[in-house]
Amino acid sequence: MNAAMTGQNLVEARNLSVSYGAKRAVDDVSFTIPKGRVVGLLGHNGAGKTTLMKAMVGLAAADGELVMLGLNPVRQRTELLEQACYIPDVAVLPRWARVDELITLMSGLHPRFSADRARQLLRRTSVGLRDKVKTLSKGMLAQAHLALIAAIDAKLMILDEPTLGLDVLSRKAFYEMLIDEWCDGERSVLISTHQVEEIESLLSDVLMLNEGKLVLSISLEDMDRRFVAFSHDTAVAEQMAAAHPLLRYRTGPGPSGNAAIFDGEPPPQVQALGQRMRPSLVDLFVALTRKPELDRTHF
Amino acid sequence: MQTWDQRQPIYQQLADLLAAQLLDGDPPEGEAMPSVRALAGRFLLNPLTVNRALQALGDEGLLENRRGLGLFVVPGAREKLKATERERFLHDEWPRLRDRLRRLDIGADQLTWEGQQ
Repeated sequence: MNAAMTGQNLVEARNLSVSYGAKRAVDDVSFTIPKGRVVGLLGHNGAGKTTLMKAMVGLAAADGELVMLGLNPVRQRTELLEQACYIPDVAVLPRWARVDELITLMSGLHPRFSADRARQLLRRTSVGLRDKVKTLSKGMLAQAHLALIAAIDAKLMILDEPTLGLDVLSRKAFYEMLIDEWCDGERSVLISTHQVEEIESLLSDVLMLNEGKLVLSISLEDMDRRFVAFSHDTAVAEQMAAAHPLLRYRTGPGPSGNAAIFDGEPPPQVQALGQRMRPSLVDLFVALTRKPELDRTHF
Repeated sequence: MQTWDQRQPIYQQLADLLAAQLLDGDPPEGEAMPSVRALAGRFLLNPLTVNRALQALGDEGLLENRRGLGLFVVPGAREKLKATERERFLHDEWPRLRDRLRRLDIGADQLTWEGQQ
């Protein structure tokens, strides 16, 4: 299959599974990633995020169908990695190297890497070209890494927990560079994280994994249309619960600090009991990924 | 980081925020709006969301698209915004404020216009 046959989709996965021995880390997932999207891959630790990303760059053998940029990620891995870049969660840059040496190294390694572009991206940051990797802070390191990867003229970027362990300013700078320098309406990026609140507003789409299964694959625009939340008073809590919401939760102290999320519009008499809200991704995440045994203790 | 509440869609909140800045003359009338990517980077928003917000401001007649150049603040945008805000204050905020003043027995003579601008 070539790129023309897959149309606008950069990624097409159908009935994809990845097993480690008897354990299915990724369990029969199907999704597509079109051009120009910012896709969040959300899931708790162990949900299968890293495994799925590894399969996408040919580092884990998968069953089912997976077409990346029109290519087979295992058999055509070299060609794929010319057009798709990946920062794994365990990524490290060599501590002894200077930043300008890394640029030279990348120039030799990657046919689509632009040294000029890397230097231009690094000017946004406080990282100097003569700085040694070992002298950089965690936040600077993440930015340097992103600058090196974003200097590759690729179609898809895959980032596994890119901001884990960074402070708030470093995370902001990281995402700022990503949005500003990478997202041009053509390229797409897949970001895994469990810091859901923070990246909600950045995303165009969300893939939600729970114990290897894809529990939600939706654009944020459709999410706003499909799911509705209502804040309500404790006095009507029972009526709200009787309408079978996905989740009921507290939004604040006092009798008015209750909310319920519904998949689809609840009946008008139920809607009249509360005030309509935009359902946040983090609430939906909790609703769709909580473990059944937590059900009883939740309220 | 910028926080967005759950009462309204994010694009609407951004449109309100940009409108408030336009009212303060940022950017001034006749000048170019920042690019979608610049706004997306500044507010850490998906560019599609920024597009929707700008679209909303365009629909209100505050921004105009100049072919090949991008979006510009329409001359007269501030006056238009001020008129809308005035209307909103008189229609929504003032009745509530008036009721509260009455409940607190505060008369016009007790209100002062002095103080910081």
